[in-house]
Amino acid sequence: MAVKIFIATDRLDSVLEKLSTKIDLWIPALLKDDKSGPTGFVPYEPGKAVAFDRQTTMSLKKVLLPQVETLLRFEYRKEPEGAINSTLAVEDRREARPTLVFGARPCDVRALTTLDRVFSNGPYVDPYYTERRKNTLFATLVCRQTDAKCFCSSVGGGPADMEGSHLRIVRTDDGYIVEALTKEAQSLLDNLGDAPDASREKQAAEIVEEVSRRRVGDLDTEGSAEAFRKRFEQTDYWVQMVSQCLSCGVCTYVCPTCYCFSITDEAENLKGERLRSWDSCMFYHYTLEASGHNPRPTKLERYRNRVGHKFSYIPERYEGLLGCCGCGRCIRSCPVSIDIRQVVGHLKENTNE
Amino acid sequence: MNNNPYLPELATIQEIITETGNIRTLRITLNDKDRMERFTFRPGQVGQISVFGTGESTFVINSPPTRKDYLQFSVMKAGEVTSRIHQLNAGDQVGLRAPLGNGFGFDEMKGHDILFVGGGIGMAPLRTLLLYMIDNRADYGDITVIYGARSPKDMCYTYEFEEWRAGGVNLILTVDAEFPGWKERVGFVPTVLSEVAPSPNNRIAVVCGPPIMIKFVLFGLTELGFEDQQIITTLEKRMKCGIGICGRCNAGSKYVCLDGPVFSYDQIRAMGGEL
Amino acid sequence: MLETDRIQLHKLVEEALPELDMMIGWTESCDPLQTTPVFIRDAKLISKLTLGPFCSQNLAGYLVKPPALESVPKDAKPIGICVKGCDSRSLVALIQEKFISRDRVRIFGIPCRGTIDWRKVAQRVGLSDVKSATVEDDFLVIDASGTTHRIGLEDVLARKCLGCRYPNPIIQDVLVGQVATPRSSSLETTYRDVDALDNKPIEERLAFWQSELDRCIRCYACRNACPLCVCQDKCIAETREPRWLTQRVGLPEKFLFHFIHAMHLAGRCTGCGECERVCPMDIPVTLIKEKLNKIMEEMLGYSAGLDPDGVPPLLTFNPGETEI
Ligand SMILES: Cc1cc2nc3c(=O)[nH]c(=O)nc-3n(C[C@H](O)[C@H](O)[C@H](O)COP(=O)(O)OP(=O)(O)OC[C@H]3O[C@@H](n4cnc5c(N)ncnc54)[C@H](O)[C@@H]3O)c2cc1C
Ligand code: SF4
Ligand code: SF4
Ligand code: SF4
Ligand code: SF4
Ligand code: FES
Repeated sequence: MAVKIFIATDRLDSVLEKLSTKIDLWIPALLKDDKSGPTGFVPYEPGKAVAFDRQTTMSLKKVLLPQVETLLRFEYRKEPEGAINSTLAVEDRREARPTLVFGARPCDVRALTTLDRVFSNGPYVDPYYTERRKNTLFATLVCRQTDAKCFCSSVGGGPADMEGSHLRIVRTDDGYIVEALTKEAQSLLDNLGDAPDASREKQAAEIVEEVSRRRVGDLDTEGSAEAFRKRFEQTDYWVQMVSQCLSCGVCTYVCPTCYCFSITDEAENLKGERLRSWDSCMFYHYTLEASGHNPRPTKLERYRNRVGHKFSYIPERYEGLLGCCGCGRCIRSCPVSIDIRQVVGHLKENTNE
Repeated sequence: MNNNPYLPELATIQEIITETGNIRTLRITLNDKDRMERFTFRPGQVGQISVFGTGESTFVINSPPTRKDYLQFSVMKAGEVTSRIHQLNAGDQVGLRAPLGNGFGFDEMKGHDILFVGGGIGMAPLRTLLLYMIDNRADYGDITVIYGARSPKDMCYTYEFEEWRAGGVNLILTVDAEFPGWKERVGFVPTVLSEVAPSPNNRIAVVCGPPIMIKFVLFGLTELGFEDQQIITTLEKRMKCGIGICGRCNAGSKYVCLDGPVFSYDQIRAMGGEL
Repeated sequence: MLETDRIQLHKLVEEALPELDMMIGWTESCDPLQTTPVFIRDAKLISKLTLGPFCSQNLAGYLVKPPALESVPKDAKPIGICVKGCDSRSLVALIQEKFISRDRVRIFGIPCRGTIDWRKVAQRVGLSDVKSATVEDDFLVIDASGTTHRIGLEDVLARKCLGCRYPNPIIQDVLVGQVATPRSSSLETTYRDVDALDNKPIEERLAFWQSELDRCIRCYACRNACPLCVCQDKCIAETREPRWLTQRVGLPEKFLFHFIHAMHLAGRCTGCGECERVCPMDIPVTLIKEKLNKIMEEMLGYSAGLDPDGVPPLLTFNPGETEI
């Protein structure tokens, strides 16, 4: 079985096409006919342009947690004539097919450690996510396109971090070297290409070595959980940091570790579905209770919750694990340029002011 | 429960009791007889009732685990799902995901005197624990219940009051204002609490009701000398999944659906987060 | 010139701040191509205020969205706010609809020479690391990944700016800087993108909107950023009763949501372009409203946000009307 192959740049599409016959394949792609336009992960189609040159606008969470999915189907069946009541049938249908995400980034794969804890580690296990997760492999790029908003090294990751990945992709001058990191990934590489020659192999090794040494971002998260608790009641802090927030939810939609969801029923006549869909803690309705009481009535409480969730609540619940992978998407996409690094970074400053 | 925690079990409404103008009590049984027989829960645990096509909502199982002919829920009309539940009839099918949440620490309460303070629909979660204690009367000391409602017409479980008293419960009832024919107390719950002034010695207070009542009752209990850890209450938050996943019901790092809804007052203080 | 204007702004705000409850303006952010809104009560922060082509955000919405103003008592001092030409129209519209009264705001009007669309910059210099960006005469000078780029300002201005007829504030208490020359003085220039689309066969137009709106993730940023989307937390796109929209992410839902937004802005939208600017998926959603705005101008001769005493046509109502 192949452990390492070389794919020349101009052969990438044909290799992906071949791969897609073996497994359901997702790639990062342009979502608009504009090379600097928005990007996201999409199921592979021949000829679809791969967007490898930068981090995607949308994260890959939708591969495991689609924006909307059917949890259950239900149907009321009318009893034969005479009977008063109808009977009810409810079923859950799940299908998780073997899937490969080709061209993930280390931060995105790391984000899954957060989702795994929430969805798969109990006490209740979410079978929809968990079954998909078990069936999904990640071919991850050694990341050389960090920008001023990335800070993966500050939160436990790094641009060459391969934790959770099954294959490593190194982009060289004239192509890609793809290496299987786990046994299950090896067979995927069969008949896709030849082993790289010595000079390319050497170049790849140098790249990996160089990127591994990079420290991306300088946010110090040490002690941020405690600092957050101290800041919690200091309304002034939140007024100062996030008054400009629009409660628009963009940050949560693009974030790979934001997973909050809603459940709603949609029915027509006697049949229908129970849907699960992305929701956002930045929305007013999210916590609105039937009585009209809302524990997080303004953007200040809502943004505070987002920061708390990632840097205090999740670490407290899950042995110090941070709920942020440092991808910087929320910073890049925020329409009013709110920078979570600043909000978290300042938590520790003059807490007693 | 089955291996999909989102999949409700089917259940049938056996009986509906109209408690007040906006509260109805449902008695339901699981359609799977085996499951119904094996169904166990702790007082204070909740269920998610589904009316398919409308949605799911959280309600406390207010019958005690010692009485298993049916599972009882009392539902106050509040919004979409609760309004739909109010249109249902005996014989109708619903979905149920239960039991969920932590429930009351009824074992630790053994050997203590107990004070229940309930207001309006807040009597529902207290009822399950109260009946459990009546059914295990020897395990507990004095049981005093202060139950208040706006008027006698807004009081739930009136048909059971005699049974509660016969079970050794000191039941104190109060309504907000004078009402023709009303022979019990008149006054707000916190006021009645300070009149009755139960001793905090070896006593645990279990409080449930509208937020404003809880606020003043907590104040009153502290005045009477109750320590934070002697006061138990249930928290309410908007819920969806009910199983600690959807992220909605958190107060600080605690999920009300999973770590609650029952918390002691000192736990609530330590928790931080928005209430 | 920018520097002189900035100094003038600081001076004016310094003088005014004691009489103000707070000052809303722009300040530099972590992104050299975009500012971030700032709310100033402390005179020490005045020096952080900035103006110029990176100040793309329309600040008018903050006046009516919680908690910026709601926390301020009604008898408090007025709020100071920086507005460009287009932002001032939003403010006028809000005053018209009585969401805010004129005497509650102290308006610092800023003639505008156009705002920069970071996406257009990215098309030219790539999405590599922009280290710094400055304006020199009619050029944007960018230092990105070690290379210096000089780009004509005109090439990277926001779409709305290219057809702007009102770069100078419609209302103000003080003016900061020199009066600007409008880029457009005709409907043709202002609505050139609407016309270009309208001239295409209907199938092509449908295909265009299908492919654009297909990307919509229904985050509602366009709605939340819109200064005139005043329903906010009560938006019918999210209510369950009545239920107009499901949580599904199909095209019908997306179309309906955008039609709801557009229809509720008919005759009210000032074309400020915020909805389009904030969209993370780069969907030209202002174009939908521009089409309605054009109809308004052609049919009723009305253009929103120009007259504080005017009434938007769809808000006029004659009780004696027989046909309703
Ligand atoms: C632990 C717990 C126990 C409860 N026990 C009872 C009880 O025994 N009897 C009773 O009448 N009520 C109880 N409630 C409150 C009850 O769940 C809400 O009144 C009910 O969900 C409102 O649903 P709705 O669809 O009618 O309202 P809508 O306003 O239409 O709400 C839509 C959805 O939002 C959620 N939601 C809204 N408000 C609440 C809320 N306050 N709490 C939880 N979810 C909410 C639900 O998912 C609901 O389906 C309890 C709540 C909690 C958290
Ligand atoms: S993207 Fe920015 S403005 Fe929108 S909710 Fe997030 S922090 Fe607030
Ligand atoms: S919070 Fe921001 S930086 Fe952190 S994982 Fe989410 S989008 Fe990325
Ligand atoms: S901002 Fe863009 S993606 Fe979000 S709802 Fe509006 S059009 Fe859709
Ligand atoms: S609809 Fe768009 S262009 Fe019109 S006022 Fe609102 S944000 Fe501005
Ligand atoms: S209701 Fe989903 S986490 Fe509590």
